[in-house]
Amino acid sequence: MRLILSDRPLPLPELSSDTTFVDLSGLKIANCVGCFGCWTKTPGRCVIRDDAVKIYPLIAASDRVLYVSRIRYGGYDEPMKTMLERAIPVQQAFIRLVNGETHHLQRRVVPKQAVVMGYGEEISSAEEAVFRRLVARNALNMNFSEFRVEVMPEAAVEDAVRREAAAWLG
Amino acid sequence: MAGIMILNGSPRAPRSNSKKYAALFAQACPAETVYREITRGNHGTLCREIEGFSDLLLVFPLYADGIPVTLLRFLKALEAAPPSPRLTVSMMVNCGFLEPGQNDTVVEMIRLFCEKSGCRFGSVLEIGSGEAILETPFAGMVRRKIGKLADSIARGTRRSWKVTMPLPKRWFIRASTAYWESYGKRNGVTKEQMATMEIEK
Ligand SMILES: Cc1cc2nc3c(=O)[nH]c(=O)nc-3n(C[C@H](O)[C@H](O)[C@H](O)COP(=O)(O)O)c2cc1C
Repeated sequence: MRLILSDRPLPLPELSSDTTFVDLSGLKIANCVGCFGCWTKTPGRCVIRDDAVKIYPLIAASDRVLYVSRIRYGGYDEPMKTMLERAIPVQQAFIRLVNGETHHLQRRVVPKQAVVMGYGEEISSAEEAVFRRLVARNALNMNFSEFRVEVMPEAAVEDAVRREAAAWLG
Repeated sequence: MAGIMILNGSPRAPRSNSKKYAALFAQACPAETVYREITRGNHGTLCREIEGFSDLLLVFPLYADGIPVTLLRFLKALEAAPPSPRLTVSMMVNCGFLEPGQNDTVVEMIRLFCEKSGCRFGSVLEIGSGEAILETPFAGMVRRKIGKLADSIARGTRRSWKVTMPLPKRWFIRASTAYWESYGKRNGVTKEQMATMEIEK
Protein backbone atom coordinates (compact mmCIF):
# COMPACT_ATOMS: atom_id res chain seq x y z
CA MET A 1 0.00 0.00 0.00
CA ARG A 2 1.00 3.58 -0.66
CA LEU A 3 -0.15 6.81 0.92
CA ILE A 4 -0.07 10.47 -0.03
CA LEU A 5 -0.82 12.57 3.02
CA SER A 6 -1.21 16.26 2.34
CA ASP A 7 -2.25 19.35 4.28
CA ARG A 8 -3.94 20.76 1.17
CA PRO A 9 -6.10 19.57 -1.70
CA LEU A 10 -4.03 18.53 -4.72
CA PRO A 11 -5.18 17.95 -8.27
CA LEU A 12 -3.59 14.57 -8.91
CA PRO A 13 -3.31 12.45 -12.02
CA GLU A 14 -4.66 8.94 -11.95
CA LEU A 15 -3.10 7.06 -9.04
CA SER A 16 -2.38 3.37 -8.94
CA SER A 17 -5.14 1.38 -7.25
CA ASP A 18 -3.03 0.71 -4.18
CA THR A 19 -2.38 4.42 -3.55
CA THR A 20 -4.60 6.41 -1.19
CA PHE A 21 -4.64 10.20 -1.23
CA VAL A 22 -5.64 11.91 2.01
CA ASP A 23 -6.24 15.65 2.22
CA LEU A 24 -5.99 16.50 5.90
CA SER A 25 -7.61 19.91 5.38
CA GLY A 26 -10.91 18.16 4.68
CA LEU A 27 -10.86 16.01 7.83
CA LYS A 28 -11.80 16.53 11.44
CA ILE A 29 -8.79 15.72 13.59
CA ALA A 30 -8.39 16.95 17.16
CA ASN A 31 -4.99 17.27 18.77
CA CYS A 32 -3.49 14.48 20.87
CA VAL A 33 -4.17 15.15 24.54
CA GLY A 34 -1.30 13.00 25.78
CA CYS A 35 -3.48 10.56 27.73
CA PHE A 36 -1.46 7.47 26.66
CA GLY A 37 -4.76 5.56 26.36
CA CYS A 38 -3.50 4.11 23.05
CA TRP A 39 -0.65 2.44 24.94
CA THR A 40 -2.18 1.62 28.31
CA LYS A 41 -5.99 1.43 28.06
CA THR A 42 -6.98 0.38 24.55
CA PRO A 43 -3.60 -0.59 23.07
CA GLY A 44 -3.40 0.24 19.35
CA ARG A 45 -6.55 2.41 19.39
CA CYS A 46 -6.86 6.11 20.09
CA VAL A 47 -9.60 7.01 22.55
CA ILE A 48 -10.55 10.07 20.45
CA ARG A 49 -12.79 8.60 17.74
CA ASP A 50 -12.46 11.21 14.98
CA ASP A 51 -10.99 10.99 11.46
CA ALA A 52 -7.44 10.33 12.70
CA VAL A 53 -8.35 6.72 13.51
CA LYS A 54 -8.85 6.09 9.78
CA ILE A 55 -5.46 7.55 8.89
CA TYR A 56 -2.92 5.96 11.23
CA PRO A 57 -3.78 2.42 10.07
CA LEU A 58 -3.04 3.62 6.50
CA ILE A 59 0.28 5.06 7.62
CA ALA A 60 1.15 1.78 9.34
CA ALA A 61 0.23 -0.36 6.32
CA SER A 62 2.05 1.68 3.67
CA ASP A 63 5.48 0.84 2.35
CA ARG A 64 5.68 4.14 0.50
CA VAL A 65 4.51 7.45 1.89
CA LEU A 66 4.57 10.98 0.59
CA TYR A 67 3.93 13.70 3.17
CA VAL A 68 3.20 17.23 1.98
CA SER A 69 3.20 19.99 4.58
CA ARG A 70 3.70 23.67 5.03
CA ILE A 71 6.79 24.37 7.12
CA ARG A 72 6.41 26.32 10.36
CA TYR A 73 9.46 27.16 12.52
CA GLY A 74 11.38 24.42 10.75
CA GLY A 75 8.73 21.81 11.57
CA TYR A 76 5.39 20.71 10.18
CA ASP A 77 2.56 23.20 10.37
CA GLU A 78 -0.60 22.37 12.33
CA PRO A 79 -2.55 19.95 10.12
CA MET A 80 0.33 17.53 9.49
CA LYS A 81 1.76 17.89 12.99
CA THR A 82 -1.66 17.19 14.49
CA MET A 83 -1.97 13.98 12.44
CA LEU A 84 1.55 12.78 13.22
CA GLU A 85 0.97 13.28 16.94
CA ARG A 86 -2.26 11.31 16.68
CA ALA A 87 -0.38 8.43 15.02
CA ILE A 88 1.31 7.17 18.21
CA PRO A 89 -1.17 4.26 18.60
CA VAL A 90 0.99 2.50 15.97
CA GLN A 91 3.77 2.31 18.55
CA GLN A 92 3.97 0.45 21.82
CA ALA A 93 4.80 2.08 25.14
CA PHE A 94 7.83 -0.19 25.39
CA ILE A 95 11.27 1.06 24.48
CA ARG A 96 14.15 -0.53 22.57
CA LEU A 97 17.43 0.68 21.08
CA VAL A 98 17.55 1.96 17.50
CA ASN A 99 21.07 2.92 16.35
CA GLY A 100 22.09 3.03 19.99
CA GLU A 101 19.30 5.45 20.92
CA THR A 102 16.10 4.78 22.88
CA HIS A 103 12.91 4.62 20.78
CA HIS A 104 9.53 2.90 21.01
CA LEU A 105 8.78 -0.55 19.68
CA GLN A 106 6.49 -0.43 16.67
CA ARG A 107 3.32 -2.44 16.25
CA ARG A 108 2.59 -3.85 12.76
CA VAL A 109 4.19 -0.93 10.96
CA VAL A 110 5.60 -1.70 7.51
CA PRO A 111 9.07 -0.18 6.96
CA LYS A 112 8.67 2.71 4.54
CA GLN A 113 10.32 4.65 1.82
CA ALA A 114 9.27 8.17 2.67
CA VAL A 115 9.32 11.36 0.66
CA VAL A 116 8.63 14.48 2.67
CA MET A 117 7.85 17.70 0.85
CA GLY A 118 7.95 20.85 2.93
CA TYR A 119 6.80 24.08 1.39
CA GLY A 120 6.50 27.75 2.19
CA GLU A 121 7.66 31.20 1.23
CA GLU A 122 10.99 32.58 2.39
CA ILE A 123 12.27 29.36 3.93
CA SER A 124 15.82 30.31 4.97
CA SER A 125 18.64 27.83 4.64
CA ALA A 126 18.70 27.59 8.45
CA GLU A 127 15.00 26.71 8.53
CA GLU A 128 15.43 24.18 5.74
CA ALA A 129 18.28 22.57 7.67
CA VAL A 130 16.07 22.22 10.76
CA PHE A 131 13.30 20.65 8.68
CA ARG A 132 15.74 18.15 7.18
CA ARG A 133 17.02 17.31 10.63
CA LEU A 134 13.46 16.84 11.86
CA VAL A 135 12.65 14.32 9.14
CA ALA A 136 15.86 12.42 9.93
CA ARG A 137 14.67 12.25 13.56
CA ASN A 138 11.18 11.19 12.45
CA ALA A 139 12.71 8.38 10.42
CA LEU A 140 13.82 6.67 13.64
CA ASN A 141 10.38 6.94 15.26
CA MET A 142 8.24 6.32 12.17
CA ASN A 143 10.01 3.33 10.69
CA PHE A 144 11.34 5.03 7.54
CA SER A 145 13.85 2.67 5.95
CA GLU A 146 14.72 5.37 3.43
CA PHE A 147 13.69 8.97 3.12
CA ARG A 148 14.12 12.00 0.92
CA VAL A 149 13.28 15.58 1.84
CA GLU A 150 12.34 18.29 -0.64
CA VAL A 151 11.82 21.91 0.31
CA MET A 152 10.08 24.22 -2.13
CA PRO A 153 7.92 27.32 -2.56
CA GLU A 154 4.19 26.75 -2.35
CA ALA A 155 3.74 27.29 -6.09
CA ALA A 156 5.98 24.31 -6.86
CA VAL A 157 4.07 21.76 -4.76
CA GLU A 158 1.57 20.52 -7.32
CA ASP A 159 4.22 19.78 -9.95
CA ALA A 160 6.48 18.11 -7.43
CA VAL A 161 3.70 15.85 -6.18
CA ARG A 162 2.63 14.98 -9.71
CA ARG A 163 6.20 14.06 -10.57
CA GLU A 164 6.50 11.85 -7.51
CA ALA A 165 3.13 10.18 -8.14
CA ALA A 166 4.19 9.47 -11.71
CA ALA A 167 7.41 7.90 -10.47
CA TRP A 168 5.37 5.62 -8.23
CA LEU A 169 3.41 4.41 -11.26
CA GLY A 170 6.57 3.56 -13.16
CA MET B 1 8.56 45.02 31.94
CA ALA B 2 9.85 42.71 34.63
CA GLY B 3 9.39 39.19 35.81
CA ILE B 4 9.09 35.85 34.12
CA MET B 5 5.95 34.32 32.68
CA ILE B 6 6.16 30.53 32.83
CA LEU B 7 3.97 29.09 30.12
CA ASN B 8 3.03 25.41 30.10
CA GLY B 9 2.64 24.18 26.51
CA SER B 10 1.60 20.59 27.28
CA PRO B 11 -1.81 19.54 25.96
CA ARG B 12 -2.40 17.93 29.35
CA ALA B 13 -1.10 20.94 31.26
CA PRO B 14 -3.10 20.49 34.50
CA ARG B 15 -1.74 16.93 34.94
CA SER B 16 1.55 17.28 33.12
CA ASN B 17 5.18 16.67 33.92
CA SER B 18 5.73 20.17 32.55
CA LYS B 19 3.61 21.50 35.42
CA LYS B 20 5.94 19.83 37.91
CA TYR B 21 9.03 21.20 36.16
CA ALA B 22 7.42 24.64 36.08
CA ALA B 23 6.69 24.48 39.82
CA LEU B 24 10.32 23.55 40.55
CA PHE B 25 11.40 26.50 38.45
CA ALA B 26 9.11 28.92 40.28
CA GLN B 27 10.46 27.65 43.63
CA ALA B 28 14.06 28.08 42.52
CA CYS B 29 13.70 31.41 40.78
CA PRO B 30 15.00 34.54 42.52
CA ALA B 31 12.88 36.74 40.21
CA GLU B 32 9.11 37.11 40.24
CA THR B 33 7.21 34.50 38.21
CA VAL B 34 3.64 33.85 37.16
CA TYR B 35 2.48 30.49 35.83
CA ARG B 36 0.00 30.05 32.98
CA GLU B 37 -1.34 27.17 30.91
CA ILE B 38 -2.30 27.39 27.23
CA THR B 39 -5.91 26.58 26.42
CA ARG B 40 -7.69 26.83 23.07
CA GLY B 41 -9.46 30.00 24.10
CA ASN B 42 -6.82 32.03 25.95
CA HIS B 43 -4.29 32.91 23.24
CA GLY B 44 -5.34 36.56 23.05
CA THR B 45 -5.32 37.01 26.81
CA LEU B 46 -1.89 35.43 27.11
CA CYS B 47 -0.44 37.52 24.28
CA ARG B 48 -1.65 40.69 26.01
CA GLU B 49 -0.42 39.55 29.41
CA ILE B 50 3.05 38.72 28.07
CA GLU B 51 3.53 42.40 27.24
CA GLY B 52 4.04 43.02 30.95
CA PHE B 53 6.98 40.61 31.21
CA SER B 54 10.66 40.76 30.29
CA ASP B 55 10.93 36.97 30.01
CA LEU B 56 8.85 34.09 28.78
CA LEU B 57 9.78 30.55 29.78
CA LEU B 58 8.18 27.89 27.59
CA VAL B 59 7.83 24.57 29.43
CA PHE B 60 6.63 21.73 27.24
CA PRO B 61 7.04 18.10 26.18
CA LEU B 62 8.71 16.93 22.98
CA TYR B 63 5.98 15.61 20.67
CA ALA B 64 6.93 13.68 17.54
CA ASP B 65 10.35 15.32 17.60
CA GLY B 66 8.81 18.76 17.53
CA ILE B 67 6.61 21.39 19.18
CA PRO B 68 3.30 19.99 20.50
CA VAL B 69 0.35 21.36 18.50
CA THR B 70 -1.06 23.09 21.59
CA LEU B 71 2.09 25.22 21.81
CA LEU B 72 2.54 25.56 18.04
CA ARG B 73 -0.90 27.16 17.70
CA PHE B 74 -0.13 29.58 20.48
CA LEU B 75 3.26 30.53 19.01
CA LYS B 76 1.57 31.37 15.71
CA ALA B 77 -0.83 33.66 17.59
CA LEU B 78 2.06 35.27 19.49
CA GLU B 79 4.04 35.82 16.29
CA ALA B 80 1.02 37.58 14.82
CA ALA B 81 0.51 39.71 17.96
CA PRO B 82 3.63 40.39 17.80
CA PRO B 83 5.70 40.27 21.00
CA SER B 84 8.00 43.09 22.10
CA PRO B 85 11.54 42.89 20.69
CA ARG B 86 12.67 43.19 24.30
CA LEU B 87 11.01 39.90 25.24
CA THR B 88 13.45 37.05 25.89
CA VAL B 89 12.11 33.55 25.29
CA SER B 90 13.74 30.69 27.20
CA MET B 91 12.69 27.05 27.20
CA MET B 92 12.60 23.92 29.34
CA VAL B 93 11.65 20.92 27.24
CA ASN B 94 11.27 17.34 28.45
CA CYS B 95 11.16 14.19 26.37
CA GLY B 96 10.25 10.61 27.19
CA PHE B 97 13.38 9.02 25.78
CA LEU B 98 16.63 8.81 27.72
CA GLU B 99 18.79 11.06 25.55
CA PRO B 100 18.13 14.75 26.27
CA GLY B 101 19.75 15.51 22.90
CA GLN B 102 16.62 14.16 21.22
CA ASN B 103 15.27 17.65 22.05
CA ASP B 104 17.98 19.43 20.04
CA THR B 105 15.83 19.94 16.95
CA VAL B 106 12.97 21.51 18.89
CA VAL B 107 15.44 23.94 20.45
CA GLU B 108 16.27 25.10 16.92
CA MET B 109 12.53 25.42 16.19
CA ILE B 110 12.03 27.77 19.15
CA ARG B 111 15.09 29.73 18.01
CA LEU B 112 13.46 30.08 14.57
CA PHE B 113 10.23 31.22 16.25
CA CYS B 114 12.21 33.96 18.01
CA GLU B 115 13.81 35.06 14.75
CA LYS B 116 10.45 35.22 12.97
CA SER B 117 8.67 37.04 15.74
CA GLY B 118 11.55 39.41 16.45
CA CYS B 119 12.17 38.53 20.09
CA ARG B 120 15.35 37.33 21.81
CA PHE B 121 16.25 33.71 22.35
CA GLY B 122 17.35 33.00 25.91
CA SER B 123 18.39 29.96 27.94
CA VAL B 124 17.60 26.29 27.44
CA LEU B 125 17.19 23.22 29.63
CA GLU B 126 16.69 19.90 27.83
CA ILE B 127 15.44 17.06 30.03
CA GLY B 128 15.66 13.40 28.99
CA SER B 129 13.67 10.58 30.63
CA GLY B 130 11.27 13.38 31.53
CA GLU B 131 8.23 11.16 31.95
CA ALA B 132 9.70 9.50 35.04
CA ILE B 133 12.85 11.19 36.32
CA LEU B 134 11.12 13.19 39.05
CA GLU B 135 9.95 9.91 40.63
CA THR B 136 13.50 8.56 40.85
CA PRO B 137 16.53 9.25 43.06
CA PHE B 138 17.79 11.44 40.19
CA ALA B 139 15.16 14.15 40.78
CA GLY B 140 17.80 16.20 42.61
CA MET B 141 19.87 16.41 39.43
CA VAL B 142 16.93 17.98 37.62
CA ARG B 143 16.31 20.38 40.49
CA ARG B 144 19.91 21.57 40.38
CA LYS B 145 19.78 22.22 36.64
CA ILE B 146 16.45 24.01 37.01
CA GLY B 147 18.11 26.19 39.65
CA LYS B 148 20.85 27.09 37.16
CA LEU B 149 18.28 27.86 34.49
CA ALA B 150 16.38 30.11 36.91
CA ASP B 151 19.55 32.00 37.85
CA SER B 152 20.53 32.43 34.25
CA ILE B 153 17.14 33.80 33.22
CA ALA B 154 16.97 36.10 36.25
CA ARG B 155 20.44 37.45 35.45
CA GLY B 156 19.84 37.74 31.75
CA THR B 157 22.65 35.41 30.69
CA ARG B 158 21.95 32.93 27.90
CA ARG B 159 23.02 29.39 28.59
CA SER B 160 22.06 25.78 27.85
CA TRP B 161 21.96 22.62 29.91
CA LYS B 162 20.93 19.02 29.52
CA VAL B 163 19.96 16.51 32.17
CA THR B 164 18.79 12.90 32.24
CA MET B 165 18.97 9.75 34.36
CA PRO B 166 22.63 8.70 34.53
CA LEU B 167 21.78 5.10 33.65
CA PRO B 168 23.17 2.65 31.11
CA LYS B 169 20.60 2.43 28.29
CA ARG B 170 19.74 -1.20 29.02
CA TRP B 171 18.87 -0.31 32.61
CA PHE B 172 16.75 2.58 31.47
CA ILE B 173 14.88 0.28 29.10
CA ARG B 174 14.26 -2.21 31.93
CA ALA B 175 13.06 0.57 34.23
CA SER B 176 10.82 2.11 31.58
CA THR B 177 9.32 -1.30 30.74
CA ALA B 178 8.41 -1.74 34.42
CA TYR B 179 7.03 1.82 34.50
CA TRP B 180 4.71 1.25 31.53
CA GLU B 181 3.73 -2.22 32.68
CA SER B 182 2.50 -0.86 35.99
CA TYR B 183 0.78 2.03 34.16
CA GLY B 184 -1.19 -0.55 32.15
CA LYS B 185 -1.86 -2.65 35.21
CA ARG B 186 -3.62 0.27 36.88
CA ASN B 187 -6.00 0.22 33.89
CA GLY B 188 -6.41 -3.56 34.08
CA VAL B 189 -4.32 -4.06 30.92
CA THR B 190 -1.57 -6.68 30.81
CA LYS B 191 1.90 -6.32 29.35
CA GLU B 192 0.94 -8.75 26.56
CA GLN B 193 -2.15 -6.70 25.68
CA MET B 194 -0.05 -3.54 25.64
CA ALA B 195 2.41 -5.23 23.29
CA THR B 196 -0.26 -6.09 20.71
CA MET B 197 0.88 -5.73 17.10
CA GLU B 198 -2.70 -4.91 16.01
CA ILE B 199 -3.69 -1.36 15.13
CA GLU B 200 -7.37 -0.32 15.34
CA LYS B 201 -8.55 -3.91 15.73
C1 LIG C 1 1.90 12.34 20.88
C2 LIG C 1 3.16 12.20 21.67
C3 LIG C 1 4.37 12.29 21.03
C4 LIG C 1 5.57 12.15 21.74
N1 LIG C 1 6.74 12.23 21.06
C5 LIG C 1 7.91 12.06 21.71
C6 LIG C 1 9.16 12.11 21.00
O1 LIG C 1 9.20 12.31 19.79
N2 LIG C 1 10.30 11.89 21.70
C7 LIG C 1 10.29 11.65 23.05
O2 LIG C 1 11.36 11.44 23.63
N3 LIG C 1 9.12 11.63 23.75
C8 LIG C 1 7.95 11.83 23.12
N4 LIG C 1 6.77 11.81 23.82
C9 LIG C 1 6.80 11.64 25.29
C10 LIG C 1 6.63 12.95 26.08
O3 LIG C 1 7.55 13.92 25.65
C11 LIG C 1 6.82 12.68 27.56
O4 LIG C 1 5.88 11.72 27.98
C12 LIG C 1 6.71 13.93 28.41
O5 LIG C 1 7.15 13.62 29.74
C13 LIG C 1 5.29 14.48 28.50
O6 LIG C 1 5.34 15.71 29.20
P1 LIG C 1 4.04 16.45 29.76
O7 LIG C 1 3.48 15.59 30.85
O8 LIG C 1 4.55 17.76 30.30
O9 LIG C 1 3.08 16.63 28.66
C14 LIG C 1 5.55 11.92 23.14
C15 LIG C 1 4.32 11.84 23.79
C16 LIG C 1 3.13 11.96 23.08
C17 LIG C 1 1.83 11.84 23.81
